Amino acid sequence: MAPPDPAAVPRGGSFASRLLNWSTWAVLAGLFVVSLRQTGFDVEALTSGTQDFVRFFGRLVPDWTALPQIWRPLLETLQIAYLATLMGTLLGLPLIFLASYNTTINGPIMWLARSVLTVLRSIPDLLYAAILAPILAPGPLPGVVALTVFTMAVLAKLASETVESIDPGPLEALRAVGAGRNRVIVYGVLPQIAATMTSFVLYIFEINVRASVVIGYVGAGGVGFLLLRYLNFFDWGGVAALIVVIFAVVLLIDLLSVWARSRLI
Amino acid sequence: MTTSTSPIPPTPGHVVRTRWLLGIAVVAMLALAVLALVTMNLPAWSRVQSGLERNLVPLLRGFVNPAWHVFELASTSMLETMFMAVIGTTIGGILAFPLSFLAAGNLLGGSRLALPGKGLLVGVRTFPEILLAIIFVAAAGPGPTAGIMAMGIHSVGFLGKIFSDVIEGIDAGPNEAIRAAGGNALHVFMFSVVPQVLPEFASNLLYRFEINLRAAAVLGLVGAGGIGLPLIQRLQFRRWDEVSMFLLVIVTFIIVVDTLSSSVRRRLV
Repeated sequence: MAPPDPAAVPRGGSFASRLLNWSTWAVLAGLFVVSLRQTGFDVEALTSGTQDFVRFFGRLVPDWTALPQIWRPLLETLQIAYLATLMGTLLGLPLIFLASYNTTINGPIMWLARSVLTVLRSIPDLLYAAILAPILAPGPLPGVVALTVFTMAVLAKLASETVESIDPGPLEALRAVGAGRNRVIVYGVLPQIAATMTSFVLYIFEINVRASVVIGYVGAGGVGFLLLRYLNFFDWGGVAALIVVIFAVVLLIDLLSVWARSRLI
Repeated sequence: MTTSTSPIPPTPGHVVRTRWLLGIAVVAMLALAVLALVTMNLPAWSRVQSGLERNLVPLLRGFVNPAWHVFELASTSMLETMFMAVIGTTIGGILAFPLSFLAAGNLLGGSRLALPGKGLLVGVRTFPEILLAIIFVAAAGPGPTAGIMAMGIHSVGFLGKIFSDVIEGIDAGPNEAIRAAGGNALHVFMFSVVPQVLPEFASNLLYRFEINLRAAAVLGLVGAGGIGLPLIQRLQFRRWDEVSMFLLVIVTFIIVVDTLSSSVRRRLV
């Protein structure tokens, strides 16, 4: 065996990259210390409060007679997540292509699409729900709209990165035989991104299920409303039963989705 | 010449089959959506219309003419929110570091030995963090501590998974080289594993921080500290011009932090 070329042996990166690495850690450590002071995060209170904490969790014994009350809101939760994922995907499709440099119409439109997506994406899903609940009347409607907007923004961001990294060959071939932008997208782009996009949609569905479980807390429909009611009435048995059901449903959907995603790519 | 058929060959059988399956899947999905819409408890259109007129219009007007008198309150609350995210992310990172080694098959000497660690991380990740925050607020009272704990615990599940994936992807060469030169397990860990995973860990910590900043901005909606609390009070009293100011501060802050953080991440890895 030939001895390795000394120049090819990795030496832990350049000086600049090592400096950046260590200065990042230093900045993070400094921020942590400042944050501890500013928020008044009290480790002592945490340890002295442990008894209350343990007592609280001791009361969380599931009361299974609450189950018949849970099913309908739970179904609504899943319906919200499903509808929002479906509608967000359909509405997000055109945005994906407008925001990718190789399928967009022109520069300014691409820039506009990207800016809108950046702003939409910077608002957390629960905040959309909290704002839309008083506007659209409390119930599942604000939940569906909130998660639809969120799905649209996240999907378009993820998928446009995929579109920008596809093989340009088929696109050129289609353009060479006279295909317009729409035909290029349908026959050149979509077949290349279909599997990855399905995987993204499933991933966003997982996120939406988690979100739709809690948006009821701010009045946007689903099982979160029930949680608020149980907590307000100190119905710990109901709270515990609800937590177990939510855990089981979210875990089941996650496992199914992860399995499906692993088959796709 | 007797062959005068079309120059286009017939569509292959498996393509036709795939098209049919795809069509059936699309119809099934749309049918499910219609079923959901019909059974759902949707409000009457007149109710929605009056809500839009009374609330959406003032909210949009607020973006053009935001209430500057709450700017200071909004920015200090947003800063506090960021500090919460910093602590939550750090706690998550510190706890995830040892756990990730228990969930990495290559260092334990067999992927089966990593299953308990992986299972634990999946269990932790399953709980939505807002749900954790709601429970912690009920258990320990409202305030940032409940929110930070919720964020920290949820981050452990996320970071532990990513960290263990990073560890499983390292190059085994340096490990062997150190062992061949007489190094023990600690040497391998210190001089091969840690230098290889550290930049990826830092990058993912920053990424998680971006996610946690968004999460921290809504924790206050359930009483767990940060900008969400003053925001939901203004939502309840329909002070739309002040809500707009809060939204502007949140969006600007998050976009700036995201941009900074992702430019550092690009250079790290």
